[in-house]
Amino acid sequence: MAPSHLHVSLPFATLTEALAAAPEAQPFVTMWFDDDDTRTFSFGEFRRWSNSQAALFSSHGLRKGDTVILIMPQGVALMASFTGAMLLGAVPAILAYPTFKVEPAKYRFGLKGVSANLSAKLVVADDSFPDEFLESVSLGDQSKLIRVSGVPPPMKDVAAPQFQCHQDDLAFIQHSAGTTGLQKGVALSHGAVLRQLVHLGHSLKIQSSDRVYSWLPLYHDMGLVACFVLPMVYHLHLVMQSPTDWVMRPDNMLHLISRYKCTLSWVPNFTLQFLARRVKPRDREEYNLSSLRVLINCSEPVRAESMNAFTSAFSSCGLQPTALQSSYAMAENVFAVTQSEISQAPRCIWIDASKYQLKRIAVSMEPGSDSAVCFVSSGKCLPNNEARIVSEKGEALPDGHVGEILIRSDSMLDGYYNRPDLTALSLRDGWYWSGDLGFLLEEELYVTGRKKDLIIVGGKNIYPQDIEEIACGHPSIHDGRAVAFGWYNPDLGTEEIVIVAEAEDPAALADASTIERAVRTAIVEELAVAPRAIYLKPPRWIIKSTAGKPARSATREKLLAEHPELRIS
Amino acid sequence: MPDPANELIDYICKQIIRRPDIELTPDTPLVSSGLIDSFSLVDVLSKLEEVTAMRIPASKVQPKDMDTVNLMLSSAQRLGKPRK
Repeated sequence: MAPSHLHVSLPFATLTEALAAAPEAQPFVTMWFDDDDTRTFSFGEFRRWSNSQAALFSSHGLRKGDTVILIMPQGVALMASFTGAMLLGAVPAILAYPTFKVEPAKYRFGLKGVSANLSAKLVVADDSFPDEFLESVSLGDQSKLIRVSGVPPPMKDVAAPQFQCHQDDLAFIQHSAGTTGLQKGVALSHGAVLRQLVHLGHSLKIQSSDRVYSWLPLYHDMGLVACFVLPMVYHLHLVMQSPTDWVMRPDNMLHLISRYKCTLSWVPNFTLQFLARRVKPRDREEYNLSSLRVLINCSEPVRAESMNAFTSAFSSCGLQPTALQSSYAMAENVFAVTQSEISQAPRCIWIDASKYQLKRIAVSMEPGSDSAVCFVSSGKCLPNNEARIVSEKGEALPDGHVGEILIRSDSMLDGYYNRPDLTALSLRDGWYWSGDLGFLLEEELYVTGRKKDLIIVGGKNIYPQDIEEIACGHPSIHDGRAVAFGWYNPDLGTEEIVIVAEAEDPAALADASTIERAVRTAIVEELAVAPRAIYLKPPRWIIKSTAGKPARSATREKLLAEHPELRIS
Repeated sequence: MPDPANELIDYICKQIIRRPDIELTPDTPLVSSGLIDSFSLVDVLSKLEEVTAMRIPASKVQPKDMDTVNLMLSSAQRLGKPRK
């Protein structure tokens, strides 16, 4: 912890102590599959299930300090296994569960790599986990694999194990997003998690009447910390569904918020635009979103267009004008680094586009000016969290200058599990080097993109997300299905922009050249750079990541394989 | 009325694979053979619900359940509920 940090008094020493203190009959989690297939567990029932999982794991030799891998579908059995392991002082890590749309080879590769690094004592798989993936679980000499049922055990009292855990002991390992095989296990202590939740609870003014809605997977920080551990520690009711079910019917999110009068939720940016486009105006009438106190746009750069699209689509459903908020979060800091001030809409600023691209500085302009671009703030740092912006050389940059975001806080990771090499690269002098780019202005953080994705065209800094958004603005291009990347041209000594986009309808391919021209014109108008090439492809051409977003590097490889001429400048 | 297997085959050929030289049978492996991308299965699953008039809980469907048209239909019978 940095010396300047204020002392935080924690309500509990450990996460399991927080669970033990919850009122017996208070509803904890409602797992919703559909309106006829829903079950709610009280904190008392959840505790008994956790104790019973702890007893089971203990009988298989799991002890304090051991790591345990959980590969189970989204649901209460997974959550109870997670807390059951923590009750023994063991350190659980949740891995992605294969869904019907998983790419088997990619899943095997990821599972093998991640499980090898964790060297777990126990691997717990759900009894429906497909046999064909079992051989990809890396088991050490001392490890054991068991199958567990997703059905709640008889609700008899099983005594909780009596282990003395300290707040500096590891609580769990969560995986930071990234290419599946290269995911890094972020090891977090009970104290770090609790400090984060105290800060976040304070910023969000959490009340006992709050109810959380989530479709987010439990193997990501947003789903795990914000939508499971936070409600557990604050003794809130959580309404949860499976991410796979959500993908099939995204409007269920609105149905569940309306039905259960949820007050708090977190979503990645794309969800907002997706819902605004997918839910037809006539279907919006059945939703009542007035209970929603805070809906936080988190985990990707926050886009003004997506925020506005959601607000205008759903304000008729009672969406409060200040409900939509923003945050910058990462697994390495447990979760949030910043949070917008919830009593007002997040700050939007308009800055001079050419100064931003050429000099990497944010200079304010009149809102709506032709040559200005709009940025939404991710808010101010949480208490005891600091952000600093540095240049390529690592020098601190003043307000308004774009550079890499470094963070320091009292809820930082202990390190990447079993990877001191990666820890040393990212954690230097107490600062975590995020690899994200952004700028600070009047203490508010604006996140602009990932450092590795930045395209530099003749000294201009272009974010692929900006180009992709413009391309997707064309009515014939499928929303969210465009990828832009830089391709170095040695003759010009600079990168050039290459775009690949999917047509909404294959029939549109007949007009490819007209569409490409329109996209090119729009990019030149908005960003004042001309792309080298635009490729229009049939639907489903672009490769998606496990999170359902376009996988930029894999798509780039696919395009280069199909168009070898790109390699020749 | 076309039977569900033919309707699904027709949809997968025309809307997903879009290659006139490919002929499918109800037992042709689709994803494991690389004929279709696993991401397009979201659309295939929606079509499966439509042709069987079932509501299928996506979270309970596994990769192997969707590899052939026959497997899809038996998964729909096993997991699906009639639509209201």
